[in-house]
Amino acid sequence: MNGFPTNDFVALLPIAILTVGALAVLLSEVFLVSGRRGYQAAITVVFAVAAGAAAIARPYSGYVFNRQAVVDDFSAFVTVVVCAGLALSALVGAGWLRARNAERGEFYGLALFGTAGMALLGMATDLLVAFIAIEVMSLATYSLAAYLRRGKRPSEAAFKYLVLGAISSALFLYGSALLYGASGSTLFGELAKGRGSPLSLAGLSLVAAGIAFKIAAVPFHAWTPDVYEGAPTPVTAFMAAGVKAAAFALLARIFLSAEAGTAAQATAFSGVISGLAVLTMIFGNLLAVPQRSVKRMLAYSSVAHAGYLLVGVLSASVAGVREKALAGLLFYLAVYAATAIGAFTVVGALERRSRLDDEPADAWDLERFAGLARRRPGLAFAMAVFLLSLAGIPPTAGFIGKLYIFQAAIGAQLYGLAILGVLTSAMGIYYYLRVVVYMYMRPAAGEAEPLSSAATSVALAAAVAVVVVLGLVADPVIRLAQAAGAILL
Amino acid sequence: MLTPLQTYFPIGVALLVAVGLAALMVALANLLGPRRPSVVKSTPFECGSEPAAGSPRERFGVKFYVVALLFIVFDIEAIFLYPWAVLLLPSQGYPGLGWAGFVSMGIFVATLVAGLVYVWKKGVLDWAD
Repeated sequence: MNGFPTNDFVALLPIAILTVGALAVLLSEVFLVSGRRGYQAAITVVFAVAAGAAAIARPYSGYVFNRQAVVDDFSAFVTVVVCAGLALSALVGAGWLRARNAERGEFYGLALFGTAGMALLGMATDLLVAFIAIEVMSLATYSLAAYLRRGKRPSEAAFKYLVLGAISSALFLYGSALLYGASGSTLFGELAKGRGSPLSLAGLSLVAAGIAFKIAAVPFHAWTPDVYEGAPTPVTAFMAAGVKAAAFALLARIFLSAEAGTAAQATAFSGVISGLAVLTMIFGNLLAVPQRSVKRMLAYSSVAHAGYLLVGVLSASVAGVREKALAGLLFYLAVYAATAIGAFTVVGALERRSRLDDEPADAWDLERFAGLARRRPGLAFAMAVFLLSLAGIPPTAGFIGKLYIFQAAIGAQLYGLAILGVLTSAMGIYYYLRVVVYMYMRPAAGEAEPLSSAATSVALAAAVAVVVVLGLVADPVIRLAQAAGAILL
Repeated sequence: MLTPLQTYFPIGVALLVAVGLAALMVALANLLGPRRPSVVKSTPFECGSEPAAGSPRERFGVKFYVVALLFIVFDIEAIFLYPWAVLLLPSQGYPGLGWAGFVSMGIFVATLVAGLVYVWKKGVLDWAD
């Protein structure tokens, strides 16, 4: 066929697989009417794995759709991370939803659609494509947050998420319009053209603010604790893993394009980003300290981790350390996805259930973790591994990720940010280890048995394996991430 | 050569014609139409449902909402289909959208059909309670 843009369609293969999977799950929900829906999680995992495999096989690399999107190692890495996050969340969701008698195809369908948006976001090199991808991702996650709609908390969470998400989309769009005015193009590659003009700085700052909502950076984090706490726990895991990874991929591409060819740390835009990083690291950690609810603590921890990742993005603008910084960023995102899903899974297994999907306020209280090591040693061990990784203690993968990011920051001569990162991580040790202390050193409160299901156990085992194995032998993945650091803008 | 303002002249004419026609129709209906009011005719009119009386905070079928959503989706589809149909084939030096356009629209419509099948089987279009 003459002039047929085969490459454009081939490049979208992972996204096509995810979309077909979503439609398949939705149609199975209405055509295969039976009470047993275990196959839906299986279908989701199969399609997630297929999409990840397609991203790795990568039949075509390079720019597609008139340079509005790109398939490179970076996008492939991001796609694999979000697909892995989807597979794990689907397994977690299967056990969690079945216990609430709420397993439906729509849950998996929405998750697959959302992942398709995330994969597209990793590929976007144009502000409008990025916007469409953000909306595909966000609309799916808004609805997922409201999945248990009878409850008060999920409704509140979904409504807050929707309203603030809409504001962030508006900020992103307004910024895009200003950038178009400044540089005459919506392509990332042309962003640097308008550099120096106030219009360009205002546009970039608005775009960054829009993305900062998605990655939950202070001062755009206000929705995070309420939404993370109120949303169904598997959905929280999915959001923490996927949305964050995809939004960071977008931020890295936009930031590096806008800063291409500058002397580092001299531009006003990098000043904006480092301001975000400083605030996020300090307040994310400070606000996590007093939390009694473990789910809420993990939400603030997600904010804090966004701060460290922002340091990685900043370091990547320096020519000499770009590969190392991007490798650290990608490695960190992959590890954080596994760790966050794992931690939220344990929280979901322990939470107190009540009628009508409305968790009581103390559903995730620290007390519920007391004596877990005696009641369920496996669960307690898994949670301990995740918390140590979040705190960045060797030999977990979280340590390696932090090590790479802070090394890159020092290489980029961002000494202040590196020191602040290490200090605030030390603060994190307190609130992470407090949960470990409760699990191992407090007597059990004689509570009901935690939820257990085969699918959830598989997901937990996989997450533990990722965190431990990547902590011990990080090299292969770091090398992959380093290759992905050769980013196309 | 037309000045930029002059190029808008046809639009101005169209606007005048539209406003004039609307005014003419209202005026003619007022002048010529017979007027035989009845109780039924002068009740407030609402699409498809009993007119709201008393408190507006009444429960009503959520079906309207879903149908409205469906309407928007297929309305947008029609908006996309019209220019696509005009531009698909080559004409007078314009290359046309070709197979790429055909396949893209095929994917779009197929996705919408899958969605329609889903809501149909889900019983959204089933109006009887």
